[in-house]
Amino acid sequence: MATVDYPLEKSRRQREFSLSEALYSWVATVDHKRLGLMYMTSAIIFFLIAGVMAMVIRAQLIVPENHVVGPQTFNRLFTMHGTTMVFLVGMPIIAGMSNYLIPLMIGARDMAFPRLNAFGYWIFLFGGILLYFSYLGANGLFGAGSAPDVGWFAYAPLTERAFSRGTSTDYWILGILVSGIGSIVSAINVIATTLSMRCKGMKLSRMPLFVWVMVVDAWMVILALPPLTAGQVMLLFDRYLGANFFNTQAGGSAVLWQHFFWIFGHPEVYILIFPAFATVSEVVPVFSRKPIFGRQAMVGAVVAIGFISFGVWAHHMFAVGMAPISNIFFATASFLVAVPTGVKIFNWLATIWGGKIRFATPMLFCVAFIFQFLIAGLTGVMLAVTPFDWQLTDSYFVVAHFHYTLTGSFLFGVFAAIYYWFPKATGKMLSETIGKWHFWLLVIGFHLTFDPQHILGILGMPRRVYTYAPGRGWEPWNMISSIGAAIQAIAIICFAWNVIRALIKGERAGDDPWDAWTLEWTTTSPPPEYNYETDPEVRSSRPLWDLKHPEDPDWKYE
Amino acid sequence: MAEEDTKHDYPDAVDMPAPSFWPMILAFGVTLLLTGIVTNYVVTLVGFVLSARAAVGWWRDVIPHELHEEVPVRHPADWAVPVRTTGRSVASLRVGAAHHRMRIPERVHPYKAGIWGGIAGGIAMAILACIYGQVAHGSIWYPVNLLAATVLPSISQAGETALGQFQLVAFGVAVGVHTITSILVGVLYAVTLPMFPRRAPLWAGFIVPLFWTGLIAATLALTNPALNDHINWIWFIACQIAFGLVAGFVAAKTQRIDTMQNLPFIERAAIESQWSEKPDGKGRQ
Ligand SMILES: [Cu+2]
Repeated sequence: MATVDYPLEKSRRQREFSLSEALYSWVATVDHKRLGLMYMTSAIIFFLIAGVMAMVIRAQLIVPENHVVGPQTFNRLFTMHGTTMVFLVGMPIIAGMSNYLIPLMIGARDMAFPRLNAFGYWIFLFGGILLYFSYLGANGLFGAGSAPDVGWFAYAPLTERAFSRGTSTDYWILGILVSGIGSIVSAINVIATTLSMRCKGMKLSRMPLFVWVMVVDAWMVILALPPLTAGQVMLLFDRYLGANFFNTQAGGSAVLWQHFFWIFGHPEVYILIFPAFATVSEVVPVFSRKPIFGRQAMVGAVVAIGFISFGVWAHHMFAVGMAPISNIFFATASFLVAVPTGVKIFNWLATIWGGKIRFATPMLFCVAFIFQFLIAGLTGVMLAVTPFDWQLTDSYFVVAHFHYTLTGSFLFGVFAAIYYWFPKATGKMLSETIGKWHFWLLVIGFHLTFDPQHILGILGMPRRVYTYAPGRGWEPWNMISSIGAAIQAIAIICFAWNVIRALIKGERAGDDPWDAWTLEWTTTSPPPEYNYETDPEVRSSRPLWDLKHPEDPDWKYE
Repeated sequence: MAEEDTKHDYPDAVDMPAPSFWPMILAFGVTLLLTGIVTNYVVTLVGFVLSARAAVGWWRDVIPHELHEEVPVRHPADWAVPVRTTGRSVASLRVGAAHHRMRIPERVHPYKAGIWGGIAGGIAMAILACIYGQVAHGSIWYPVNLLAATVLPSISQAGETALGQFQLVAFGVAVGVHTITSILVGVLYAVTLPMFPRRAPLWAGFIVPLFWTGLIAATLALTNPALNDHINWIWFIACQIAFGLVAGFVAAKTQRIDTMQNLPFIERAAIESQWSEKPDGKGRQ
């Protein structure tokens, strides 16, 4: 292995950069791979920050009547934790993964709009920094500033001037609004790229499932974000120009904000889970040594989920007291999502079924994803039952449900993606041993943290309380939950160590370490600036299978 | 491995978009532009100036011609190792051969059969239900209004006499609900009938309607309290059986078609293409 000379090493040696040149090359880059890595790195940094916040939250809740942080700080912590995880971790990971992988997978040299791509990254980053600047400047730079404390969905009329003094809520609005421009821009780029830059033979029917899922995701971003932005601008009008859109005392409607927020917010949770779908659809076949089961059905299911997700938003609002007809409509529509989602789960299982399974780290994360996502979906269906929701809305049951989707599913999918594509992006393998420590600690920590929260919810513990009285039977579950959080933190430290170790002295990856089937594995690891020396050509959805098995190529059957 | 050759069929250099820091400056400018709202109007001014300058810079990157950078192509020795055959052959599944797991059933009723069956069954059921309304309550609209109460709870609160009167909205809702449910159940029948190799009429006509009735009986208090208060279970079961028998009969009468489970998609979709040559009887998973 070590005798093969790997290309990037050589070109690095040829082009000795000075520090300022190196800095310029990153700041001015329009290369989709560099931007993808910048998105991912920024997302991971924000993830670590929001993770530390989660640790403080769990430390505060470990025993009743605790005093790690006060109520005001606690409100800021859960607001910033949620906002960061959704807008500054989830969204850039989508952009990062699409950016890095889509051009490689469809055999293109770059994204359709490379400069716009760079703009998207930077405006996301500046938006994120603006949000965090609130800790210093929220009161207008005079004296102590502080972060938003209105919760990640910032319900009206709490956000009105009368109740949210100072400028912290404005930072929340502007930070998200600015970074949202980045998400829109990158979504437009993904759609344009996949529609116009596919290599020869790459018909839509042969496009990797990863790309399919990310294109649908991009459409959802484009459709879902504008209502949020509109709502936020209306809120700015309320706060600065004396409009009364959401001001109930002056005839405005607080429920209107909820509609604006959740018609964005519900599709948003599917937007966030899609990169995990995309990854699992690529990783599971490769590690089961079988083609994906029911390719067309998988594409259909993902389109169906995208479509239905725009008609279910008011299941977040059952407790508002809507008309029975609305309750029935939104409950039924929410049940409907379970159908295409079930199709996906069954197809992943059918792909694994009877396969020659290799339990490498990416596959481990995928298997855990399928299991945990199933439970997340089942508690989701439970919460879609209107009377059930009336009982458990705003309780820890809901917290447990959405952490099953975002930690147990999204995060596990992202880790699968990182373990799977890290060798392609860096040329180095992550350690399997540390990877398995990372995986098992994360699984154990995750279940210890969030399984008890279902019970806490049923026992009546409301979300967002900064402390609780003893004697309600909540103590043991909170204790277990907090211990689980600490174990998850250790798992994340393993991951960080694994990445740093691999970058310094990781084993060389080679072009195709997993014996995979999609186009990105035909170029070197890492790929050159122009991705492919000659334009690739494909004849099936698994071009590398065709090359590796000329006696039984896929194109005979597709 | 690739060898040194003088004539090569790859380009010497590839045109890539030239790096540009204007996108970053524009992003920074736009951010400052909005930050002015929460800080000071001067920040907005600076943001505006930066944005304008960056926009001009960006335009000059692309107008009149997009700036490119020539990236020299690496020496072929640095290229990716060409993908080679793995040397392992792949066992293909053959229909009818030992150990080949066929997906059963091999022949099914077309979906169309289910749709027609559902419609026929739905009509049979509706007729019987209307007879029940006429006989027991003196109005054929009685069962119609009860069904509509699933969606429109207000109807059930209107009282016994109102339930016997024709109400246009209730009629529309009931017809909609009944049609959709009938067609869906009919399709379900068509799909599942071939799975019962024996006594299909018994399953379709009696056992499934009884199971269905059991399910309804268990949940009706929640889904349609009005119907639950007024329901006559004997008639209800009779209606279900009428549906089952008619839908099952209509669906079962159609020709079964081959599932074509071992044919490639191109052929199942009947698309003519250059790839549509038959892979000499080889099936695969
Ligand atoms: Cu939702």
